[in-house]
Amino acid sequence: MTYFVIFLGICFMLGVLAVASNPSPYYGVVGLVVASVMGCGWLVSLGVSFVSLALFLVYLGGMLVVFVYSVSLAADPYPEAWGDWRVVGYGLGFVLVVWMGVVLGGLVDFWKVGVVTVDGGGVSFARLDFSGVAVFYSCGVGLFLVAGWGLLLALFVVLELVRGLSRGAIRAV
Amino acid sequence: MNPHAKLICTVSLIMGTSITISSNHWILAWTGLEINTLAIIPLISKSHHPRAIEATIKYFLTQSTASALILFSSMTNAWSTGQWDITQLNHPTSCLMLTMAIAIKLGLVPFHFWFPEVLQGSSLITALLLSTLMKLPPITLLLLTSQSLNTTLLTLLAISSTLIGGWMGLNQTQTRKILAFSSISHLGWMIMIISYNPQLTILTFILYTIMTSTVFLSLAQIKVLKLSTLLISWTKTPMLNATVMLTLLSLAGLPPLTGFMPKWLIIQELTKQEMTPMATIITMLSLLSLFFYLRLAYHSTITLPPNSSNHMKLWRTNKTLNTPTAILTALSTTLLPLSPLIITML
Repeated sequence: MTYFVIFLGICFMLGVLAVASNPSPYYGVVGLVVASVMGCGWLVSLGVSFVSLALFLVYLGGMLVVFVYSVSLAADPYPEAWGDWRVVGYGLGFVLVVWMGVVLGGLVDFWKVGVVTVDGGGVSFARLDFSGVAVFYSCGVGLFLVAGWGLLLALFVVLELVRGLSRGAIRAV
Repeated sequence: MNPHAKLICTVSLIMGTSITISSNHWILAWTGLEINTLAIIPLISKSHHPRAIEATIKYFLTQSTASALILFSSMTNAWSTGQWDITQLNHPTSCLMLTMAIAIKLGLVPFHFWFPEVLQGSSLITALLLSTLMKLPPITLLLLTSQSLNTTLLTLLAISSTLIGGWMGLNQTQTRKILAFSSISHLGWMIMIISYNPQLTILTFILYTIMTSTVFLSLAQIKVLKLSTLLISWTKTPMLNATVMLTLLSLAGLPPLTGFMPKWLIIQELTKQEMTPMATIITMLSLLSLFFYLRLAYHSTITLPPNSSNHMKLWRTNKTLNTPTAILTALSTTLLPLSPLIITML
């Protein structure tokens, strides 16, 4: 089981590397998909299965779909994939930085962040985050309203920034 | 700007600030900071000039990085201590990361590079909001955690902020950039004293807000964006130029004006804490900023600019009544005799 979680972690980093090495968006989105799938698996291994499901649905089913639609409208004549030298250079640079960080810092020994802890909460782990969602809608409704307003505000801000065809912030360059 | 968008942005700014300064939980504090960042983005970019758009992007990127660091620091602390209370930040990595994150948010050296350019890209009133209202939530978080933070690091940030704020402001001709560097150097004074007497930080912040608001509002009334415009603005409202001079000297910290009060009390507290060399250094470094305040004051009150004589008299006047500026000017020049009362209120 431990090896499976480590495998998930390695694939997560590889997915993030695939995105961060700046290929064209068509190839970068593959990295995003891989990273989010591995991240969801990681969350399940920690015991919060409902949050993992919510992340899957919203991220892959919502945000990535919108991203793919908008990217398909702005086509690149010569998209850079992972075979091009520029992308390979970025990838090697990031690998080097992370390797240095791990070698110099160490992970658990230096930071003493500790191992995965589990609070008792019932027979199965899945109950913990269900009850969290219930609290969010009942006692914690203040935070629910604040979070909802924050999301709505993000929408309004984006609309305000791109308002006006050539007068807006995103002009046709 | 569209009135509905402006209303949503203004309400969200007030809401975000209130949420952060009244929160006990890190997640709520972070939410308030994010709402503030989102809400001020359209206000910075409202003129749709490329410089304004660049300023917006710079502001967004730096503030988002800082918010992510705040989230990391609170999560590390929650992982190791099991609680999310803002005042109980005990993990050393969390304290370090939080100090750096707040330094980025406030614009302390060495994370100050975004601040003058963002202020230059926004209008004068938006620059006022960025210098005063947007500094309140991060300073609140720093005040709440000030007992756990590393004193040496805070002192280092403070001295270098005062140094860079004074030194870099010397070669500026644009008033918004000058006020940006003045803000950086005042923040240095605030951070200097936060480990020893956080009440003095609150006092410095309130007085700095009053004085900076006065300057920004006065400059907005005469629409002065650079030194050369300040030179010939006395014909529009001569009285306002005189009060701008007094307010600038108050910002510089000269007695008998209000701005002397925080500096005096901070030097007294530092001396009591056996930090006399630091007190001397920070006072000497404020002399650098005194130079550009004096230059601004000189430009605002000079009545013989190098113009021909038919430019001296302005017969088309557009004098609007501006009560907030008047009240703030009175506060920012005459509060020093009330210092005994204010000290007992701390």
